[in-house]
This record gives sequence, structure tokens and C-alpha cells, in this order.
Amino acid sequence: MKPIMLQGHERAITQIKYNREGDLLFSSSKDNKPNVWYSLNGERLGSFNGHQGVVWCIDVDWTTSRFMSGAGDRTCRIWDCETGKEIGCINTASSVRTCMFSYSANMAVYTTDKAMKQDCEMFIIDTRVVDESTGQQDPILRIPIKGSRVSSILWDLDDSIISGHENGEITQWDLKTGRQINSVKEHDNLINDMQWNKDGTMFITASKDHTAKLFDAKDLLLLKSYKTERPVNSAAISPIAEHVVLGGGQEAMDVTTTSTRVGKFDSRFFHMVFEEEFGRVKGHFGPINSVAFHPDGKSYSSGGEDGYVRVHTFDSSYFEYNFDY
Amino acid sequence: MSGCSHMRYLSPSNARLQRVKMAKKKVDDKNSQNEDGTKNEAGYSSNDDEPNFSDPEGFVDDISDEELLGDILKQKPKETDGFESVIIVDGVPQVGTNRLEKLKSVINKIFVKFGNIVNEYYPVTADGTTKGYIFIEYSSPVHAAEAVRATNNFKLDKQHTFQVNLFTDFEKYEQIPTKWEPPEPQPYQGQSDLHYYLLEPDAYDQFAVVAAQGQFVQIWQNTQPDPTLLEARNTWTQTCIKWSPLGTFLATFHRLGIALWAGPSFAQYKRFAHANVQFIDFSSCEKYLVTYSPQGDPHNPEQKKIIIWDIRTGLEKRSFNPEGTCSWPIFRWSHDDKYFARIGSSNNSNDALQVYETPSFGLLDKKSIKIAGIRDFNWSPTDNVVAYWVAENKDVPASVTLLEIPNRNEVRKKNLFNVADCKIHWQKSGDYLCVKVDRYSKIRKEKNEIKYSGMYCNFEIFHMREKQIPVDSVECKEPIQAFAWEPVGSKFAMIHGESPNINVSFYEVRIGQAPILLKKLEKRACNHLFWSPGGRFIVLAGLGSNGGGSLEFVDAHDFLVMNATDHFQMSDVEWDPTGRYVITAVSFWKTKVDTGYWLWSFQGKILKRVNLEKFAQILWRPRPPTLLSEEKQKEIKKNLKKYYPQFESKDRMRQSKASKELIEKRAALMEKFNQYREQRIKEWQENKARRLALRNNVDTDELDADTENVEEEVVEFFIKEETTVID
Repeated sequence: MKPIMLQGHERAITQIKYNREGDLLFSSSKDNKPNVWYSLNGERLGSFNGHQGVVWCIDVDWTTSRFMSGAGDRTCRIWDCETGKEIGCINTASSVRTCMFSYSANMAVYTTDKAMKQDCEMFIIDTRVVDESTGQQDPILRIPIKGSRVSSILWDLDDSIISGHENGEITQWDLKTGRQINSVKEHDNLINDMQWNKDGTMFITASKDHTAKLFDAKDLLLLKSYKTERPVNSAAISPIAEHVVLGGGQEAMDVTTTSTRVGKFDSRFFHMVFEEEFGRVKGHFGPINSVAFHPDGKSYSSGGEDGYVRVHTFDSSYFEYNFDY
Repeated sequence: MSGCSHMRYLSPSNARLQRVKMAKKKVDDKNSQNEDGTKNEAGYSSNDDEPNFSDPEGFVDDISDEELLGDILKQKPKETDGFESVIIVDGVPQVGTNRLEKLKSVINKIFVKFGNIVNEYYPVTADGTTKGYIFIEYSSPVHAAEAVRATNNFKLDKQHTFQVNLFTDFEKYEQIPTKWEPPEPQPYQGQSDLHYYLLEPDAYDQFAVVAAQGQFVQIWQNTQPDPTLLEARNTWTQTCIKWSPLGTFLATFHRLGIALWAGPSFAQYKRFAHANVQFIDFSSCEKYLVTYSPQGDPHNPEQKKIIIWDIRTGLEKRSFNPEGTCSWPIFRWSHDDKYFARIGSSNNSNDALQVYETPSFGLLDKKSIKIAGIRDFNWSPTDNVVAYWVAENKDVPASVTLLEIPNRNEVRKKNLFNVADCKIHWQKSGDYLCVKVDRYSKIRKEKNEIKYSGMYCNFEIFHMREKQIPVDSVECKEPIQAFAWEPVGSKFAMIHGESPNINVSFYEVRIGQAPILLKKLEKRACNHLFWSPGGRFIVLAGLGSNGGGSLEFVDAHDFLVMNATDHFQMSDVEWDPTGRYVITAVSFWKTKVDTGYWLWSFQGKILKRVNLEKFAQILWRPRPPTLLSEEKQKEIKKNLKKYYPQFESKDRMRQSKASKELIEKRAALMEKFNQYREQRIKEWQENKARRLALRNNVDTDELDADTENVEEEVVEFFIKEETTVID
């Protein structure tokens, strides 16, 4: 089926996320203005105006009442979803690279970049009440990250946090003690993205080392590997089928020719268990920076360096296709 | 008993002590022994305090001198001392006194090269003629050894060959025991079957893959449906690899030389030491190997840059230095390994064809063939005929000549005018020769540089199998990108025209007729032609950075394009030796991204894509020509329908086996995964209370789990606007 093109961003898309019900699709881009769209028809519902730098990360809580964004303007902001108004703003020492609400949305986490003589740090904040004072409050927990910086993050309920790092490490943090519980290094390069499966027991990582990998959330055990020839920027797990989708491609700065063929900017579908590729979706003319499955599993979206978000609804043949085993 | 044995133990040791003392004295006096031996004796006896060290009468010394003073005995002068610098040269002409001076000067000339000659001696008989052997003494043994190494078996002339030995070696030869002891028979080292790969029942071919700049070499067998890895070794070669022309040997390149590998386990067959070797070439029948090291060996500057080796013995047959400027292979072999030839040059101009014969490795008839201005030559792939061309010179036109070897008959000569360049293309079956002649309309000379303009091209086709070898011409006004003969059959193809109007033309050569144009495929994106080794099928390919990697699989029987596709940035196209498969490759040597190789059927159906980081080279293992007679081959072709079902069923079985294996593998994976999931899902269900607690008792586990809190919202979308005009 013909994809819906979401045109509204002026620069590369950095992250896209559906809300829990999947009726809304949030997107952030390097153009400072996150947008929210109706996922059904691609109509833009509104923008979150206020950032003065590249918006690197976004999240929306489970009730779709609050939206959070972290940006290169050294702020992490929380917005009211319904009105699009900023309700809280936290100034940070360096760019905010990752952010996420906890399962209950009573807390949130954000991490800052290692830059301007600032070390990478992880902050856990209380988000039960968000108002002007939020920016002045001390965080619940502040964890300095020695070593490699955090490049992606996941909450495990409200209890622990899993962070993916620039050097390919994955670390699990206990929030009661603020200590590291476990750490594995299965990737050789930066982990761009991590996403949960539907029940939150497994997560998929997307790495610059040309692979995406499936991990067990409890003991960070590597379950599966999906190999490509290009950096993988994002990966998502289907909520209804044993499928994963990978988005990525030649890094924009490395693309020397105009041919999209060399870049391999396709969304690539793999069987989650067999690790076999079974489909590709073309369309973007730059690398894909973020992919997300609709919570009903019947469509998925991709946001690319080309500034477009494409919402693809699967054809019936997708549901009819089965692996023999 | 015990006391007695103790005594006996003491006394000899005392005796030994005494003797050691005495022996030391002896040594001290050794030098002056001759002159004042008597005086010493007197000295000893005169000293009354000294005890008597003399052995009692009848004492038998049970200790040898070596044991006592071995270190000193080693320094004992030997008869041959001082003779290490002396060599004996045998096989020298026997001359009378009148010619002795002449001989001496000749000998001197040869041997003075190795060092300073301090002495020479020519033994003579009673009547004054030399005895045929001489002694030469150098200032240092190093020079002598060098002279022996270099001049032994030196051919002075037809009758005289030097036998040169070190003088000290004569002692070695003298001490040869009179009784001959038969040597231990060496255990038989069975040579492994070098042609085992031809016995493959399904006639699967092999190919070799080099990755990561030669550090990693894999040998694959192209089994169906998936290739199997036969052998993989790290650092097998340092740069690249090469198969011998019949596929028996795999050659690997190393800093110190070339290694050949053969047999079922690719055991090392021979090594050829030639430092910094960069180019190699096998003779047509794999008997000989030519190695070329452009820099030579810095530790052995005497070694020549081109060496021809006997592959079976591993011995050097002859070595050369390159003459003038020439392209590799410098030496080109006849189809039967009987002859090899190169262009000889003097004073910076090519003036001869040097044909050598095997196994003597001497010049054929001891002289090269004088051909002034020879530019290039090539052997016929099936006959001992050389085709060469000569550039024009003043009033003499350029010409192409066919020369029979060894009788040097000119079987055909064709004069050509306005020639800028020629390329000689033999058809693989030797039936035809095509000379592509680049011709010009105008010529200008600018500062020693010749500039041509108004270029066009002629193809001169020589019908080798017809009487008197008639020649036909095909003219083409457009620039030619590529030319290729069908290996078997009578067609040739060429790519001509300028981008973007590149065309591919197919011609057929028939007896008694000029070549006829069969088909012109217009506006193609290709720059290389690859015929199937069996003929009929051809791949048109666009190689390199501006070729785009386009691929067209064409059946030249009816010029049907079976498939048009591409392999982006492709650098190589390789047909398997049977013409069933094609490999296209992107080499790390040309492009850094997406290196790897793809396997296609001859119809252009993609079979396998292999992406391999730092992939460098891929080569099919060649096959020797078939041993079946032509009648037999025809018979097989005729009865192909009979064999067809056999192969068909075999293929089906393999396919079903493979898919069965795949399904089994998947089933196992799925079972394992489900086992793991069961445990986790159980834990997840147990955790439900915690999740509900975190989300105000709202069940969010499923999208539609919470029906109570859902608010139905109607959103109206603007879908379409239609304007209908009502009259």
C-alpha cells in the first residue's frame, strides 16, 4: 500500500514514537520542533514549540498526557500533550541525548552528552507533579557515567534502567542503589536505539556495527543477531508477529554518490527467531534514523535523514506470508 | 674385598693426575720440540727434585689424546691448511707452450672476477703441453668458494666444460670408504592424486576466494544448492593467488617466492625461491613456471629477474633479465610447451623474436629471428604458429605475419597502411585470428610525440583452416571498447560507439565469406564482454566506477537477452570452466564498500549473494580440455534428452533435502526459543500485580485490555473534495 508521507519537518528526523494506543505518532527532528500526527491519515495535530536546538529524543507517557523531549539546546522539557504547552524545563550542562518516562510515568530519566568538559550523566527525576519548579528540584538520583557515553536508554518498569553506550556496551542499573547490576558488550560500535518487545521481557538494539540484536531483559543474554551491510540506526519488534524491522543505511556523511542503492536506505524485515531477512521496503533517500511499529502491528513508520516520516500500512500479503518450519 | 677395591680405585686416579701434569709440559714444549728436544730431556733428568713421571715399563695408556687435550688438538695444523683458497679447475684445454700465454689470459679473465688471484699453477707434461687441469689460489677462501659456485660446469666452448672444486674437497673425496654401503631406502612418499578434483561425480567446480589483502584464502566447491567450504587458511598468500592453466596447482605469492599447492588437501607441492616476485606465468601444459621479480633480491644482486623453473623437479631451468620495455607475460609459451618466445631488443628498439626450445632452454637454432620493428606477437592456441606485427617505418608499410615454428616458414603476410596500433586476438580453437588495427587518417609529429587523428578501426580476420589463409576485413568507424571471440564456434562480438550510444555487434565468420553482421544491440551500458567458455552465451558487463555494474546475459544463438540486471560497482566477471555459472565480484582492491561476490546461473538467475568484508579476489579452478572425442561429445549432445530426467531428479532430491534441512533447523530454533519464552511469559504473568500497581490498576497489557476507561472519540477527517457541475 502506498505509504503516507508526513511532511512537516525541515530537517532530518531523529526519533519517532507511537503513543500506547497508537492513534498518535510523535516525531522529533533536527529542526527544533517535535510534531504529533494522527497515525491513521497523517494529519498533523500540532507542534511543540520552544526548543532552540536539535531535538534528539522524545517520549510520551502511557496516558498520553505528557510528552518529554531532550535537545541540543541543553534542556529537557516536559509538555502537556493536549495543549502542546511547555509545563516544565530542566536546564542541563550539555546536550540531552536520551529521555524516557518510567512505566508508571511517576519518574523519568534523561542522560546528557559528554561534551564541553562535562561528563556523561544520568538523571532520574520525579515527574508526579510537573510545573515551573521542576527545573529547580534536585533529581532523585544522579549517576555519573564513567567510560563510554549513553546513546540509548530503556526503563524496565520503575525498577531498573538499561543503557546502551557509544562503545557498544549495554548496562543495567538498579535504581534502589544507583549501582550497576550487569553489563555486557555484544556490539562493537555505538548503540543507536533500543526498543522493547510488547511484554517488556526482551529488547532489540540497533548498532552502528551493522547489526541489530535481541536481548533478554532480565540477564542481558544475547538471543538473536540480525546482520546487514550498513549501520543500523533503529530497530523495532512487531507486537503481533515474530518479525523485527531494521532501519539504517550508509551514514549521510559517507554517502559519496547520489545513488540510493549504494546507501541501502531500506527498511529491512527479519524473522525474529530464524534471523532470516524476508522483506525490504524502499522509499527514503537518506538513512533511516528511527522506526516504530504501530501497537496493533498492522502498520509501521520510519523517519529518515531526508526529513520525512513514512507511515506504511501492511498489505494483506504481509499477514499471509509464513515461514515453513 | 671392599678394602681391596678401594685401593684399586685410588691408584689409577693418581696415575691420571701425574700424566695430566706431564702432558701439559709436553704441550708447552711442543713448538720447540724439534730443535731442543734433547736439551729438554737433559733438563728433566738434571732436576733432582722432580719426581719421576715416566710411565713404568709396559704401561698401556688407557686414555686417548683427544680426551685429554681435545681443545688443543683441534688447532693442530692440517695438511690442507692454507689451501682453502686454492681451487682446482679441470676440463681446461690442453695446449702447447706456444699457446700457454693465450690460455692464461683467457683463464684469468674468467677467474679474476671472483677475487684477487695470488698464485696460479699450470702443470705440464714432459713435452710442455698443459695437463688440462690447473690450480688457482685466491687471497681469501671466500673468493675461492664463490669461484667454485659460479664456474663449476661452466661451458668454455663446445668441447670444454670446467669442473671446478676446492682443493680442500679433494681430501674429502680421498676419504671415500672403499666398501660401498647401499643407502637406506627412503620410505616411499606417495604423491597425492593431483587431479582428484576432476573425479567429482557431479562435476562440481571449485573456486578460490582471497580476502583481507591475501591473509585469508578459502577454497569452495560449488555444490548445489549451496557451495561447501573445502579449505580455509589464514595468511596463505601475501598478495594474491593464481591457478595453473589446467587447474592442477594453486600458486601463492610470498616475499621469498612462489609456493604451489596441489592434491586433495592442498599440500605444498613445490617452492620456488625468488625474492620479491611479483608476476608469474605458467607454461601452457603446466610443465614450467616463469617468475619475475622486478626489483630482484637485494641480498643476492646477481640473481636474474626472470627465472624459468621446472615445476616437477622444482629446479631452475634458465634465468633472464628483461630487455627493453615489454608487457607481461614477457615470455609466451606455445600450446605444447615446446617453445617459448619473447621480443628481443637492442639499442632501445625491438629487433628480434627470440624463440627458445625446451627442454634444452637454448635459442631455437641458436639464433634469434631478426624482425626489425616487431611490436607484438602471440602464439596460436592450438598450433605452433606465431602471429606478429611490425610497425610501419618510413616507406615500409606495417604488416602482420604468421610464422611457423620451428621451420620459420612465413605462412601468411599481410601489409597494412596508416597503422597506429594492432591487437592480436586468436580464437581459442585456433581456427581464426583477428587483428584489430587502429588506423588514422592524419598523422602529426610534435616534439618527438606522434599524434594521430581521425581514428578508425579495421578487423582483419585470418581464416586459419582454409587454404592459403584468406583474410577478410571488417571496418568500424566508431571507437572500439572491447572485442571478444566466441571460444568455441565462429562468432565474435564487439562493443563500439561513444557513451551514451554504446552498441554491441555480433558477427559470424563463414568459410569463403566476409564476416556478416548478425545482430546489433543498441544503446547498451557495458564496456566488457565475457563469453561462456562453451560458447553461445555471453555476458555484457559494465565494470569499474563508470560502468555502473550493469549485467546482461545474452544467448547469442537468437540474441535473446535472458536477463538484464546489475551488480553495483562490480569489478570482475568470471565464468566457471564449464559455462554453467557466472560469478560477479566487487573487489576490495577497487572499491571499499559492499565487497563480495554474487553467483549467477548462465541465464542470469541470481543464486547466491556473499558479502565479505575486504574481499579481494575470486578465481574458478580451471579444467583441462575434455578427453572425449568429438564424436562422443556429439553423441552426448544428441542424447541430452535421455540424461535430462536423471539430472532433473537429482536436482529435485538435493533441493528437497536442503529445504528439509532448513525446515529442521528452523523447527529446532523455534522450539528452543519457545522454551525460553514460556519461562519469561510465566514470570511476566506473575508480575501482573506489580504492573497494575504502577499504572493505577489500569490493565495495559493488551491494547484492548482496558475497556472501561476507553472514551470513544469521533474525529472527522477531510478526505476528498469533489466538485460536480449541475446544469
